[in-house]
Amino acid sequence: MSTQTGLLQPQKRIGWATWATFIIAALFLWSLIAIEFSPGRMIQVPAQVARVLSFFYPADMAYGWSAVLPAIMESIQIAWIGTIIAAILSLPLALFGARTLFPRMARLVKLISATARAFPEILLAIYFVPIVGLGAFAGALAIGISSVGMLTKLGAEVVESIDFGPVEAVEASGGSRILALRYAVVPQVLPEIVAHWLFRFELNIRASAVLGVVGAGGVGGVLLNTLRYRHFEKAAAVLLLTIIVVLVIDMVSGEIRRKIIRG
Amino acid sequence: MSAVPAKPPRNWLAWGGTIAFLVAMTWWSAHGIGFSLTELLCNLAGGSRLLQESWPPDFAFLPRLYEPFMETINIAIIGTVVGGILSIPVAVLAARNLTLGRVTWFVDRNFMNILRTLPDLFWAMLFATAVGFGPVAGALALSVFTVAVISKLWSESLEAIDMGMPEAVRAVGGTWLQMVQFGAIPQGLQHYVSYALYAFELNVRASMVLGLVGAGGIGMILEVQRANFEYERVSMIILAVLVAVLIIEQISETIRRRLE
Amino acid sequence: MDNNSNQGSIRFSDANIVYPNGTVGMKDLNLEIKPGEFVVIVGSSGAGKSTLLRAINGLNKMTSGTVEVDGEAVPQKDGRELRLLRKRVGMIFQDFRLVKRLTVMSNVLIGRLAHVPGWRAMLNLWPAHDKEVAMKALERVSITEKAWVKASQLSGGQQQRVGIARALAQEPAIILADEPVASLDPVTTHQIMQDLVRINRELGITTLVNLHFLDLARKYGQRIIGLRFGELVYDGSAKTVTDEDFRDIYGRDFTEDDVLDEDVVG
Repeated sequence: MSTQTGLLQPQKRIGWATWATFIIAALFLWSLIAIEFSPGRMIQVPAQVARVLSFFYPADMAYGWSAVLPAIMESIQIAWIGTIIAAILSLPLALFGARTLFPRMARLVKLISATARAFPEILLAIYFVPIVGLGAFAGALAIGISSVGMLTKLGAEVVESIDFGPVEAVEASGGSRILALRYAVVPQVLPEIVAHWLFRFELNIRASAVLGVVGAGGVGGVLLNTLRYRHFEKAAAVLLLTIIVVLVIDMVSGEIRRKIIRG
Repeated sequence: MSAVPAKPPRNWLAWGGTIAFLVAMTWWSAHGIGFSLTELLCNLAGGSRLLQESWPPDFAFLPRLYEPFMETINIAIIGTVVGGILSIPVAVLAARNLTLGRVTWFVDRNFMNILRTLPDLFWAMLFATAVGFGPVAGALALSVFTVAVISKLWSESLEAIDMGMPEAVRAVGGTWLQMVQFGAIPQGLQHYVSYALYAFELNVRASMVLGLVGAGGIGMILEVQRANFEYERVSMIILAVLVAVLIIEQISETIRRRLE
Repeated sequence: MDNNSNQGSIRFSDANIVYPNGTVGMKDLNLEIKPGEFVVIVGSSGAGKSTLLRAINGLNKMTSGTVEVDGEAVPQKDGRELRLLRKRVGMIFQDFRLVKRLTVMSNVLIGRLAHVPGWRAMLNLWPAHDKEVAMKALERVSITEKAWVKASQLSGGQQQRVGIARALAQEPAIILADEPVASLDPVTTHQIMQDLVRINRELGITTLVNLHFLDLARKYGQRIIGLRFGELVYDGSAKTVTDEDFRDIYGRDFTEDDVLDEDVVG
């Protein structure tokens, strides 16, 4: 047996992949049956989608300029304030969450950030809407809190990856721990961290777009209403403008991120 | 001190411009969304009442969550599998080194970027309108969302593969499909599995809230309880969702780390 | 810059350092260094050269015994008192330890952190006097023309000069240089060593340099200290040190790896 180990090894790996495929296929079939997604139903889907899509033309751009664009602007505002709240809160948390700097505190901070990340923004918004009232402010708070988790995690990873020589150099010259953070850690990590902020802003625009569904402001509520009342030309204007605005913001933000990391 | 250069003047235009932009953007946004600390403080009383009402969670409600919860998981599985399969051609054609020509690449890449602009719940609203309320709409929405997530990430890692193998397949007379199948995909497989698991994590989280727009799953119960101000039940649902998401993420992350 | 010639004495008394993993870093060390001396410490790697330097500014803590600077015991726990001591002791590192994304000037100002009020340091608001001290430190290692360049754009030798300037900006009584030339090429190595010797002569700053290369020790040292397994095995003038002494310190014949300029071997 022992002489054949080398031959058995690859076979074992193929077996593993086959098992995984088999399990996934079984789970998939079980799920299809459970939600009653029968083959007959499946065949209808393309026709249904095509039929609804045909109602979307032409987009009602007059509605777009007067009602949709302001709502998109509100979504951008929500995302911006949410990102700023998260950036301010996550910067110190990222430092304290770095295992290499604060071994004990880091575990607690990482636990908090994992919990914050597990909440979908929209569930947080459900709580904030009754607390601060219906509207965009609730949305911004929800986005802010849920972004803190991810920004803290990514930030802590950046801090953990830096060169610690300069930290010791600052301390050897009589500087305190706080000054070592200020002069030896922050300058090293800031470009990457700011890039993460921008990336999170891109994600937050999408997140804030849906918050209108629970009454927390933004373009999501507009889409929900136009679809509910079957105003498909208006819904088309919502989709068109959202796609264009998000594409432009993605492009600009992506370009700035690349510049920051390089410079 | 003759060799001492003067401190180079800051680029005030760039600095001032950036800072002015940040301040203006923040002011405009804060104003626009009605950001006010006084309002926040005034509403704290209402907030604490809400929290009192939410506590303790109504554990008697837990059994009734079982069925919608399983439906949520079903939606996430279907979305990940269908989206995972569809994302393969989308990613391959969007990879500059593997694509079938400039036009295909350009069209596919823009298609991918447009898919990415719309959030998961927008797709859910659209499919709920097209095929009716229920889990099928949710599964379709997450399929599209999954294509958007995986294809972008995977096309980037496909662009970074070693082109030796694919070119060798071509050199011995293989077709384009064979080149992709035997030369390229094996190299990108590990990344693919990792991204698919990541998409599954996102899908589980998304599927919890799809019901808010009528696309099936546990979110539909959440919407009903929220509308009736049954906050002990709302907090029970959120607690259950939180625990489930954390557990599934842990499992998925463990598998992903094993693969690396 | 203040002339510190009447300060900068160091005294080790029955000093021992044992690391948590059991390695002995320093064994029963008794050593006195007078203000203004230029001391080169030699020994094979792991002999305790770094341990000795890092004990003087409290980066390594004593297991037993004491180390004193100007008659005051070096505090053995982190805090304000240790920071006040470190303010008077500059350190130069093998890997320079600059913040690459900051300018040369900002890196040198790090040497002034302990001299200005904390809030000023936090806000990067440096008093004119401290900026002048930093500029003069750069002048001493003749690299003023790079003051506003990012540290990442300098060569290794230039980076080490900035490292020296950072230590000088502290206006220290003592400079500790831990293998300052180990990552530099031969030409730059001699320039840096000459800088250190010149600064020692001009300012009277007590200087301790760890060196790996024997010929450098002989050429630039005033007093040579040899360590082996954490123990003091040689202490004498650089003028009288013999190849035999080096063999005792290293516990073996030395090879061309132990000298910088190969023609000196033998």
